[in-house]
Amino acid sequence: MDVRREVFFIDGRAGQRFCVLTRPVGMPRGGVLFVHPFAEELNKSRRMVSLAAQAFAASGWMVLQIDLHGCGDSAGDFGDACWQGWVDDVALGWSWLRAHCEGPRVLWSLRAGSLLAADWLHGPALEQPALLMWQPVSDGRQHLTQFLRLKAAGEMLADADARQAMSLLRESLQRGDGVEVAGYGLSAALAAGLDAASLRLPPGYTAPVALFEVDSRPQPELSPALARLTERLTKAGNLVRSEAVSGAAFWQTQEIETAPTMIEASLRMLERVAA
Amino acid sequence: MDIKKEVLAIIDEVLSLGGRAAAFELDSPLLGAVPELDSMAVVGLLNMLEERFGFIVEDDEIDGSTFATVGTLVDFVEGKLG
Repeated sequence: MDVRREVFFIDGRAGQRFCVLTRPVGMPRGGVLFVHPFAEELNKSRRMVSLAAQAFAASGWMVLQIDLHGCGDSAGDFGDACWQGWVDDVALGWSWLRAHCEGPRVLWSLRAGSLLAADWLHGPALEQPALLMWQPVSDGRQHLTQFLRLKAAGEMLADADARQAMSLLRESLQRGDGVEVAGYGLSAALAAGLDAASLRLPPGYTAPVALFEVDSRPQPELSPALARLTERLTKAGNLVRSEAVSGAAFWQTQEIETAPTMIEASLRMLERVAA
Repeated sequence: MDIKKEVLAIIDEVLSLGGRAAAFELDSPLLGAVPELDSMAVVGLLNMLEERFGFIVEDDEIDGSTFATVGTLVDFVEGKLG
C-alpha cells in the first residue's frame, strides 16, 4: 500500500509542536499516536520509529508523531519543559488524531513515553485506547537516576566522587535549580515530574495492552522486570500481553540500529486491535 | 530464575563481548581484568541490571568492589532482589 508523509505544526502552550503524519493513501482503518522517549533516546530511536510508522501506515493506519515541548523540531528549549506540559502535549496530539481519523485508536509509546501515556490516561482522557508500549520504563525515579548517572559516569569508580557527583546534582534539583546533563538542561520541575511518574493504569482499564521488549539473545526471554510488571497489571485487572523479541536496544546503541522483529510483533498486535 | 546466567548475558551485551561472557565463572575477575569495563561501561551495566531485574541502585550503593568478579556482582543482584 502507498504511504504518504506530511509534516506540520499544531499550536500548543508556549509555541508550536512539530508533527509528522504517516498515512495510507486511502481511508485509514484507524489511528496511532506515538509518544516519544526522553532526551537522547529520542534521537537514537528516530530511524526505528520512522520505519515502524511507515510499516503501520502501509497496513492502513494513520500514524501521528508529535515532538514534545522543547524536543526535536518543536518550539522551546528542553530546559524549559516540564512534565505536565508534556502530558498536555500528549492530549494535544490525541485531540488532533480524534478529529482527523475514524476507527480504532492506539496509543504507542517508547521507553519514558509510556510514563507520559499512563499519566495522560489518569487525567480527563475521554476514552481507553489500546496501548502499544515498546520497552516501557515502569519507574520514573529509576529513569531519572540513570540520566543523572551520565554526568557522574566519569567518577563512577572513584567511590566517594560518584556519590558526591550524584548528591550535588540532586541537591541542585531539590533547591529548584536546573542542572545540565549530557548536553541537556534539566529543570527541577521536569526532574520532579519524571521522578514521581510510574507505570500504572487507571482502575477498570480494559483496552488491550501490549508490552514489548527486545533481547539481544537469539532466544529472547522476557526480563524478570517485565514479567513482574505484567503480573502487577494483570492482577489489577488489565488485559496485558507481553513479548520479548530478538533485537538490539535501538534507543541507546552507539550506532543507529533497528529491530525489525519489534515492528512485526506490533503489526500483529494492530491486526488484533482492528479485528 | 538463573541470576548468574542473566548477569552474564547483561555483561556480554553491555561490553559487546560477542558471547565470551558465557564462559565466565563466579570467580572470573571483571574490574581491571576485562579491558572493556571502563567507567561508562559500569554505568551501562548498572542501568541494564536495574532495568532487566527491576530494582534501583542507590547512589551510596555504588562501589568498585561490586564489580570485582562475576560472583561479587551476582551477590549484589541477589541482595537487591532480597
